[in-house]
Amino acid sequence: MECHGTAGQGDGPAAHLLTPRPRDFTLGRYKIRSTETGSIPTDADLVRSVRKGLYGSAMPGWETLISDNDISDVVAFVKTLSPRFASETPKEIAAGPQPVSSPQSVRRGYGVYQTLQCGKCHGSDGRGTGATATTFEDDWRQPLRAADLTEPWTFHGGPGAQDLYMRFSGGMSGTPMPSFKDSASENAMWDLANYVVSLARKPLWRMNAREVADFYAREDAEARANPVKRGQYLVDTIGCALCHSPVDEHKRLIPGLKMAGGFRIHVEPFGDYPTGNLTSDKATGLGNWTDDEIKRVLTRGILKDGTRLLPYPMDWPSFSTLKADDLNAIVAYLRSLPPVSNKVPPPSRTFLPLFLWGKFKLLVLGSDPPMIFYPGNVGSAGAGRQPLEP
Amino acid sequence: MKTFLKWTAGIVLVLAVAGFLSFLYFIPPFLTAAPETFSGPMMTAPPGLSGIADPAERAIADRGRYIVMRNGCIGCHATNGSQGPDLTKYLAGGGLKFQTPKGTFVSRNLTPDNDTGLAKRTDDELKRVLRSGVFPDGHVVPYTVMPWADLSNWTEEDRHAVVVYLRHLPAVRHQIPDPDATPSITRPGAVEQAYGGKDYGVAPAVPVE
Repeated sequence: MECHGTAGQGDGPAAHLLTPRPRDFTLGRYKIRSTETGSIPTDADLVRSVRKGLYGSAMPGWETLISDNDISDVVAFVKTLSPRFASETPKEIAAGPQPVSSPQSVRRGYGVYQTLQCGKCHGSDGRGTGATATTFEDDWRQPLRAADLTEPWTFHGGPGAQDLYMRFSGGMSGTPMPSFKDSASENAMWDLANYVVSLARKPLWRMNAREVADFYAREDAEARANPVKRGQYLVDTIGCALCHSPVDEHKRLIPGLKMAGGFRIHVEPFGDYPTGNLTSDKATGLGNWTDDEIKRVLTRGILKDGTRLLPYPMDWPSFSTLKADDLNAIVAYLRSLPPVSNKVPPPSRTFLPLFLWGKFKLLVLGSDPPMIFYPGNVGSAGAGRQPLEP
Repeated sequence: MKTFLKWTAGIVLVLAVAGFLSFLYFIPPFLTAAPETFSGPMMTAPPGLSGIADPAERAIADRGRYIVMRNGCIGCHATNGSQGPDLTKYLAGGGLKFQTPKGTFVSRNLTPDNDTGLAKRTDDELKRVLRSGVFPDGHVVPYTVMPWADLSNWTEEDRHAVVVYLRHLPAVRHQIPDPDATPSITRPGAVEQAYGGKDYGVAPAVPVE
């Protein structure tokens, strides 16, 4: 429910924080299928996604947690969310037996990779190097990544040649990944699957000291070479959007205001600390802040106008541990956010006697909660007065 | 003489009230203390890795330590001592309790203690909590309590590094009481400082929504 939403539309409150976004069940369009382009998935496909989870996403595998009967029930329920399951029958891909992988097949697969121009999105090396298309959207205009083909543990539908064959043949509905059924023979797709399997690199958890050092050196070098991408990774994982995006009373993102601030946090007894607009808007966002001012608030909790922040809820004490390169990367990413005009008022301190009374209650009587969150956007009229539940 | 006593008593009373009010005003000293008062311990409190013999593991744990620091896990997973959070018991948990419509959640002991910590949890179980907020018994923690929606964006390598680091923390024996057995406040949106001192002196306790 937190991800897929109460009506299964893929719009739960956590949805805007996740990459990839949770599925909208009402359309009956699924990426992970063993069926032909445009077809609905089989029950077995859905059961597998629930049982095993989707690697490289927040979808966990439920097989050790709930019984097979319950999983069948969940799948039956999910199918009722889209009318397609009532009127259509899945068209399974008729795949012949899986040929044994061989060096010859892998070599032929390399040729197929070139012919089908997989490198346009996945890069010449499967890691995105030299890719001409780098930003993707699915049919719901949500951001998407091209898979890193050297990291099979992130393949949503599983890492085996059989899994890959199904993706090549059936495509991934709703994404730019097409079906190659008409442009490549069955044998060519098997060769391609074997080639992609052969691209897998050694995962970190199997590396020796030398390889770990090389891996991190490469990661750091790539981070320096592409600070915006690194900054986005840091911002997404630290979770700036959780507070810096205003939400409605159902805790869902208010459209168009991602990272534009205005989420009201009342810190008892200090006052209101609305979250700031982090977009590059000149008048209301960070557009007119210098790099050093952005870094100062991140590491010392001091706003552009000199206002001091509390050590919470904005966790600048922890962000002060960020390395210099990472701070630069975050600044670079925030500068790349498209400007959104949303004028957020500065923090307002509680009226002094009330402040003292609040502190008395907090420290002596020990009764009041330190923090209360409110729905709505303080940048516009109509911000909520009723606190959000955690 | 009587007047003098009266005046003295009056002045003492005024001074006492003023003193108490200024005590209230300055405690905790969030807005007067230097920023380093809060950020300094974030750098020094996370235990080091000199005890790890295997160099590959040490390098991975070092990356995990950095990630744990910058993500501010300590904000919720601290243990309260008599003077605010006891940072020598790094990530031993219990510092925060969340009352939600889905139940009460208490920050857990993340150190590798056998009975009260994570020692008996497998890597996959830990990674599933960090990726999806799903615990081994099947219950799901709201992402507004434990921000797994954000942590799900970690690469699998970074998630692994965090788990490796947690495995090498000094084990702290700290039983987190069953949250539902403790009295809880009923006001919606309320977050309570639980288990231990009521001292908010340096508490960078960060309930996330």
